[in-house]
Amino acid sequence: MFPPSVGAFRSRTRSSAILTGDPDTRTPTRFLLWLLRDQSRILAINAGVGLLWFLPGTVGPFFMGKAIDRGILQHDMGATLTWAALLFAAITVGVFAGIGMHTAAVSGWLVALYKTMLLVARKVAQMGHVLPRRTPTGEILSVASSDSDTFGALTEVVARAVAAACAFLVVAAIVVSASPLLGLVTLVAAPLLVGAASPLLRPLQRAQAVERTRSSELTGRATDIVAGLRILRGIGGERTFGDNYAAQSRRTREAGVRAGVWQAGVDAVGTLLSGLLLVVLTWLGTREMLAGRLSLGQLVSFFGYAVFMVWPIQTIFELAQKWIQALVAAGKTLAVLGQQPPWSSVEHPEPLPADAEIVDEASGFRARPGELTVIVSAVPDESAAIADRLGRYLATAVEPMSSDVGDELSGRAARRVRQERARRRAERARADEALAARPWGVTIGGIDVSRFDLSELRSRVLVSDTSSLVFAGTLQRLLDPHGRRTRAQAEQAIRVANAEDVYDALPGGWQGVLDERGRGLSGGQRQRLVLARAVLSDPEVLVLVEPTSAVDAHTEVRIAERLAAHRRGRTTIVTTVSPLVLHHADTVVLIRDGVAVARGRHHDLLASNDDYRAVVARGMDPVPPPGHRLDATSRRPDGDDEPVPLDEPLLVAPYGPVPMADRVRDDHWEVSE
Amino acid sequence: MSIQLDDPMASSATTWLDRPDAAPRVPALLTERRGGAAERFVAWRARHALRAQRARDFYAGSRNPERGLPVAANRSVIDFLSRLMATRRRVFVGLVVANIAAAVAGLVVPRLLGDLVNRAASGVSRGDLAGSLNAIALAVGGVVLVQTVLTFAARWMSAVFGQDLLAEAREYIVRTVLRLPLSRVEQASSGDLVTRVTRDVSTMSGAVRWALPQLVIASTLTVLTLAAMIFNAWLLAIPSLLSLVVLFFSVRHYLASAPMGYITEGGTYSTINSTLTETVEGARTLESLGLQELRLAQTEGDIAVSAQAERYTMSLRNLMFLVMDFAYNGPLVLILLLGGWGYAKGWVSLGQITAATIYTQQLVEPMDRLVQTLDRLQVGMASTTRLLGIADVPADRTEGDARPHGTDVVGRDLRFAYREGHDVLHGVDLVLRPGERLAIVGPSGSGKSTLSRLISGINRPRTGLVSVGGVDVMDLPLDLLRTEVALVTQEHHVFVGSIRDNIVLARENTATDDEVRQALAAVDALDWVQRLPAGLDTLIGSGNQALTPAQAQQVALARLVIADPHTLVLDEATSLIDPRTARHLEGAMATLLTGRTVVAIAHRLHTAHDADRIAVVVDGRIAELGSHDELMVRDGEYAALWRAWTS
Repeated sequence: MFPPSVGAFRSRTRSSAILTGDPDTRTPTRFLLWLLRDQSRILAINAGVGLLWFLPGTVGPFFMGKAIDRGILQHDMGATLTWAALLFAAITVGVFAGIGMHTAAVSGWLVALYKTMLLVARKVAQMGHVLPRRTPTGEILSVASSDSDTFGALTEVVARAVAAACAFLVVAAIVVSASPLLGLVTLVAAPLLVGAASPLLRPLQRAQAVERTRSSELTGRATDIVAGLRILRGIGGERTFGDNYAAQSRRTREAGVRAGVWQAGVDAVGTLLSGLLLVVLTWLGTREMLAGRLSLGQLVSFFGYAVFMVWPIQTIFELAQKWIQALVAAGKTLAVLGQQPPWSSVEHPEPLPADAEIVDEASGFRARPGELTVIVSAVPDESAAIADRLGRYLATAVEPMSSDVGDELSGRAARRVRQERARRRAERARADEALAARPWGVTIGGIDVSRFDLSELRSRVLVSDTSSLVFAGTLQRLLDPHGRRTRAQAEQAIRVANAEDVYDALPGGWQGVLDERGRGLSGGQRQRLVLARAVLSDPEVLVLVEPTSAVDAHTEVRIAERLAAHRRGRTTIVTTVSPLVLHHADTVVLIRDGVAVARGRHHDLLASNDDYRAVVARGMDPVPPPGHRLDATSRRPDGDDEPVPLDEPLLVAPYGPVPMADRVRDDHWEVSE
Repeated sequence: MSIQLDDPMASSATTWLDRPDAAPRVPALLTERRGGAAERFVAWRARHALRAQRARDFYAGSRNPERGLPVAANRSVIDFLSRLMATRRRVFVGLVVANIAAAVAGLVVPRLLGDLVNRAASGVSRGDLAGSLNAIALAVGGVVLVQTVLTFAARWMSAVFGQDLLAEAREYIVRTVLRLPLSRVEQASSGDLVTRVTRDVSTMSGAVRWALPQLVIASTLTVLTLAAMIFNAWLLAIPSLLSLVVLFFSVRHYLASAPMGYITEGGTYSTINSTLTETVEGARTLESLGLQELRLAQTEGDIAVSAQAERYTMSLRNLMFLVMDFAYNGPLVLILLLGGWGYAKGWVSLGQITAATIYTQQLVEPMDRLVQTLDRLQVGMASTTRLLGIADVPADRTEGDARPHGTDVVGRDLRFAYREGHDVLHGVDLVLRPGERLAIVGPSGSGKSTLSRLISGINRPRTGLVSVGGVDVMDLPLDLLRTEVALVTQEHHVFVGSIRDNIVLARENTATDDEVRQALAAVDALDWVQRLPAGLDTLIGSGNQALTPAQAQQVALARLVIADPHTLVLDEATSLIDPRTARHLEGAMATLLTGRTVVAIAHRLHTAHDADRIAVVVDGRIAELGSHDELMVRDGEYAALWRAWTS
């Protein structure tokens, strides 16, 4: 039953064997079969009860016919009662089977849904920073939020289709034995009824697809307006964008009406065909009755069967449709679940030496143990890249490969594009693996970091970069997720990061709850919490990328002072160009074009190195006008602010534009019976 | 540095938990399974009650969001709907008539079949019957054709009606969003607003586009089928009428508890999604801090909570299906019994029994649809109350007729509190000199951002006022204020639309293409815009021609050039400056700022250094005010900071 427990993707290193609990990710079909096999017990129960659920439809009309022939026509109240009681019994069984089937169907649906979500979560945990390099985060999330639901729908329809097929056979036997002619008409007519609408279904689906596209564009416009609402209300443009929205709304309405016309056509054809079937049955049946080959009761039961037979056929059509949808969803899912970590397990890992010098061979950067070393570069990306290398992280600034080809392409063209993307993704995976297999180029105590166990390295060298996230939850849990620190240590960390005001502003102190991604905090507040968390985790080597970029000078002074004091005697590496921090550095390394070109104390470099002065001391030069900081890069956190209940639109900052699909998540999943 | 008198972390000792997360997220009662059938039934009832309680609690919490937008009353949805309907009465009447006609045509068929059966059973001579059989069959065939045409017409009109209603409703909603008061826009959670214009509009769409027409169709069919049954044989209509009564009470019970269940369920999926979103977006953070197992445990917990919400709605549905399935199929049994008895007594004919059984089966579909429709309508109603609630935000400014004379900006005795009793500003006086550059520096929480919001007329001060040319900024109409004072944040959202649309904002009714080009030229952007395939008409924004960050910033600057305010307030919220774009934009910025009064919240000291005057804001007061040199001579806070920066 649900929720299922999932134990897949335990190993953090690459392996070719499919371990127990791991899904079969070789092909979409195999994945779907794995998913179904995985809950075969629920499916069997579901199909079994489903058969009983169809009972009123399969034997009900038969009992009714008997009740009319044997009971009512003969004025035999006893026989009427008997057959009516049998009918009632069939209905009762059907009712309770219906409950059983609904329960089993919901269970199967949710097992598939939850399992997919858990698999995605486990894959992310297994892959870490490598996964978003290969698949866009929006697509990873849509596997969990939308494809998972498609798999749920598949498991439900599979069981129902099995039951429907059985019911169809039972009814076929009954009708043919009662009257071969009418039986045949019923058997042939049912698929015809379902199939006859299919020429209309294709244009209907096309029209619906157009409606969906326009409607999602419309939602996009609405989100766009909300995202830029501060500008629209602050600077203007309400009419322009209001009109743009209205124009798109009218286009969507037109598409909706077109789809509605096709739908009306499908409905009308359905009415026509089922009406004609009734007429033909009556005409033939009455003739058969006149010829004495059919009783009145049997005729009435045929009316019942003619209505019922449409259901099993429809269910089987539905199965075909859902299977195709599920295959597409499985393809997207495998773009996530089919990824493997690039790291191979280290055979005999070296012990990580304590208090050793760290050297980055590519740039020539060195950090002496126990010192505060600051990396200075005119290009922040360069210093960030060195920080990444020091922690053995693959470069994160690469565009992931999307499998979403949009609505313009369909059929073969879409498949080609998807295959091409999958190929490029596989290429990147191979490149990652090759990179991970070679010596890394960073040494600690003279030993290349690839010789260490990766989790050992991670626990002792912490790189806190600008993308570090503030997770939702209590403040205590954010700062001390593992529950390993004392209150005194936590208070100390808050003070080092000068985040006392964040603590103060949060109702409930340590148990105060932060929103997801720290929404509601200013960029500066988020940055200081991230810093406090890194400080509290107290690693042997702490690498901080631009830790004070979003705080004001007053705060920066305090942080620089307290951080230097707190980390005294332990290796700390910071990237920044702020003199307020540089002032406290034991050693400053100047990077130009990715190479360390100068090394020394802040004062000495300031006095002796023109390059250095140009990068660091912009404040002392003739200055650009005050507004020049209007700009922002995609990596920028927002400005610091007072602790006002100001909720920043995460849509526009600080992670760049978020695709619509991430924002619009349908979470009202109803399970239909 | 100012000394903090009261310790901001005073509550630390009382709020720190030595063993956090001790309480399980799902009470043990909800997951235990043991004992025999009777015990398990009792246990299930206890669980169901607890789940219902949890749903009620969640619902109550979701109705009172701490700082979300208001929610309108149910009454206002009905008013809104009738306003929309009033202008489309003809379509609506046509829709109802077409549906009734289609339904009547459909109801004639069983009746004719019943006639046929009667004749067959009553021993009319074979030859006569064979003749009339063909005639009746043809007649029925004709009726089916008419029904087909009417069905098509009815559905078509439903689509037109539903789509039209929906389009007007959503356009109305977006217009209310675009009228939201400025202070609210700057403060309210945009997440809430995004949810409303996306998920709530989509739920409302389902209700308006699908459920409303279906309600008309299904209720017409149900009522008319029942009428036909009574007309056919009132005795044989009793079972269906009875089942309708039973169904009514069962559905009412379901609808009373289901929405809370579904809202709770939806909430649990939101939680799962936010946790997963954080996990995916923070994949690297997880890896670096070793949080993988903790995050997985959290998702497992989210799912366990969600499973409980699912079990609750599943039980609710099961209970309703129990009644529904009996209500749909049960009448057949009763018809047989009543029919047998009535036939024996000579009250009903075989044809009437035949027609009644067909009617009963025909009734299932519209009844079932009616139940679904009510379910959807109720959910749609809840969403619509949230959408209409946007219009309930009270206006924050009183537009007066006074127009500013001159360009001097003066703030007097400014106090402001976000929480009652907690003033962030304590009586600030500030006179801007036209054309000067004033830098505001100060520690976080000192009130400098608040000050900038008051100066730019976003919030109304608790006491005192900010005036422009002698007029209170809160009395100026927004479109006028924008051309006087503008707050420039670091946001440079690019809207979906043409380049022109993206720039004319402040003067969307008056700006000419030439002015747009001049504005682009002023920010050095004309070259690349003219190189674009469609020039000013090129579509930009999400999904269209992509702009580089520098180009997006140029567009943001060009908007301000068009707005042409005499005073600019720059919340120079720090950014990781990419020096390449910064240098590229310096010229453009300089052009924009020339000849204007500029107030800049400075995070970096060189910005302050270069300003005409510097205001140091500490604890909601202006502690120091003067030029760089004056403040250095004064040797106060600013001087200390400057020395730390340059030493």
